[in-house]
Amino acid sequence: MSDHDAAPDPMDKAYAEAEALLGDDAARAARRARVLAAVAQAETEQPARPEPRPAWRRGGWLVAASVAGLSVLLATQIRPPIVTEPPAAPPQAPATPAAPATPAVTADTGSKAPAPASGGLPTRPAPAPRISTVAPEAPAATSEAAKVEPAQPPAPAPPPPPPPLAPQVARARPEAPAAPPAMESRSSARDDISEVVVTGSRIAPRAEAPSAVSSIGSPDRAAGRLRAAAARGRTAEVASLLARGVPVDAADDDGETALMKSVRAKHPEAAALLRRHGASLDLRNRAGESARDLAESVGDPELKRALGLDP
Amino acid sequence: MESDPADDAALLRAHGAGDPHAFARLYDRYDPSCFQFIRRLLGAAHSDAAEDLHQETWVAIARNAAEFDPTKASFPAWLFTIARRKVWDHFRRQKVAVLASAHEDAAMMVPDPGQSPLEQVQSRELAQEIVAAVEALPLEQRGAFVMFAQAGLSLEEIAQVTGVAVETAKSRLRYARAKLRQSLAGERSAHV
Repeated sequence: MSDHDAAPDPMDKAYAEAEALLGDDAARAARRARVLAAVAQAETEQPARPEPRPAWRRGGWLVAASVAGLSVLLATQIRPPIVTEPPAAPPQAPATPAAPATPAVTADTGSKAPAPASGGLPTRPAPAPRISTVAPEAPAATSEAAKVEPAQPPAPAPPPPPPPLAPQVARARPEAPAAPPAMESRSSARDDISEVVVTGSRIAPRAEAPSAVSSIGSPDRAAGRLRAAAARGRTAEVASLLARGVPVDAADDDGETALMKSVRAKHPEAAALLRRHGASLDLRNRAGESARDLAESVGDPELKRALGLDP
Repeated sequence: MESDPADDAALLRAHGAGDPHAFARLYDRYDPSCFQFIRRLLGAAHSDAAEDLHQETWVAIARNAAEFDPTKASFPAWLFTIARRKVWDHFRRQKVAVLASAHEDAAMMVPDPGQSPLEQVQSRELAQEIVAAVEALPLEQRGAFVMFAQAGLSLEEIAQVTGVAVETAKSRLRYARAKLRQSLAGERSAHV
């Protein structure tokens, strides 16, 4: 049909001539004046050519402020507290870090940078328990330690406090799916490390009860596979997909269903299988054709029998 | 279409550069086919909206002239894409089911009668019959037929405008012609 369809047809010519004959020149002239006036008006109403809006107008202030805030925060975090107190023995800083000049200052640095406790500040027991509960601070502390104490190669500040938390988190994940219905885990988890356990228990039911379709892929993709299988006459695949719950009448962008595909490709077995699963003969594609129409135009008696159109 | 696509793009550029006549030239070139496309898609029941949608289409063309990229689509394909979208939006506003067709497609494979007497449209009545038969086609078939027969778009352009495969566009055109033959043959036999 390819070449024939692309060629002009007497019907095309007849229609073009009919339109020309029915054309109204006066109406056309009036329409022209109206449209061009509307276009001119639209041009003048338009403030200008669409100017690209400067980035700072599109909520860029918010971004800029956030970036600035983060930079300041980062700068204050990275800058060692030693710099703020030059009188505290500057030349000795790397070797014997911060001999406690004032109790207030040392307590402050201790809470901010607990990691050096491993090597730099052994006489400070207080920060240790805090680290074990506040996981996010640990990496920052290690980097800080690495920067502040470059003169200590043998002790590259491996943070000992974080490990107690990490195994706990790792353990929580595999356990969560194992007991999804047990709602008590939610309340107990809330007391402990609420985020990890709670999200785990919420995800678990969803992952445990996936629909059969989602196991094949997205519903659209599954329906696409069904149509492709029907078009190729792969009855086993069609049956398998239908058994997994793929909608039998799911249509593609052209409105074509699996049944239409099987009819077009003359696969009576696939068509019969789809019919047995309730595929509609009367749904229409975007061209207005139904599977029944297609079967009529294909004219295959076996196909018609498979569809129940012929006795 | 018979016009040079590059020329269309040049007219659009000239319009963008402020040439006051460029847009009018472009409009004159495509006005009849575009208007009739809109009018036929709307059908008799919505023909009142044709003028407005046609105007909206050209205003949209003027406003978005800078966005037209001739390497991606020809100007007529772009124009008809916008026009078709306007019609679809209209149907949506009017809550018209676009995909539904009230016409049964009983016999698709109507044999080509060969040298048809319709080749020569000799009377206004016959012309009206033809137009009425076109308006009775299912919407997508009607669009494909009008774009091909009257606006001169290629099958590839029609496929691009309607967002379907070329084979689908071909199929629509074929069914449209078959149905037109069938319905016009019926008309003629009824008159005899």
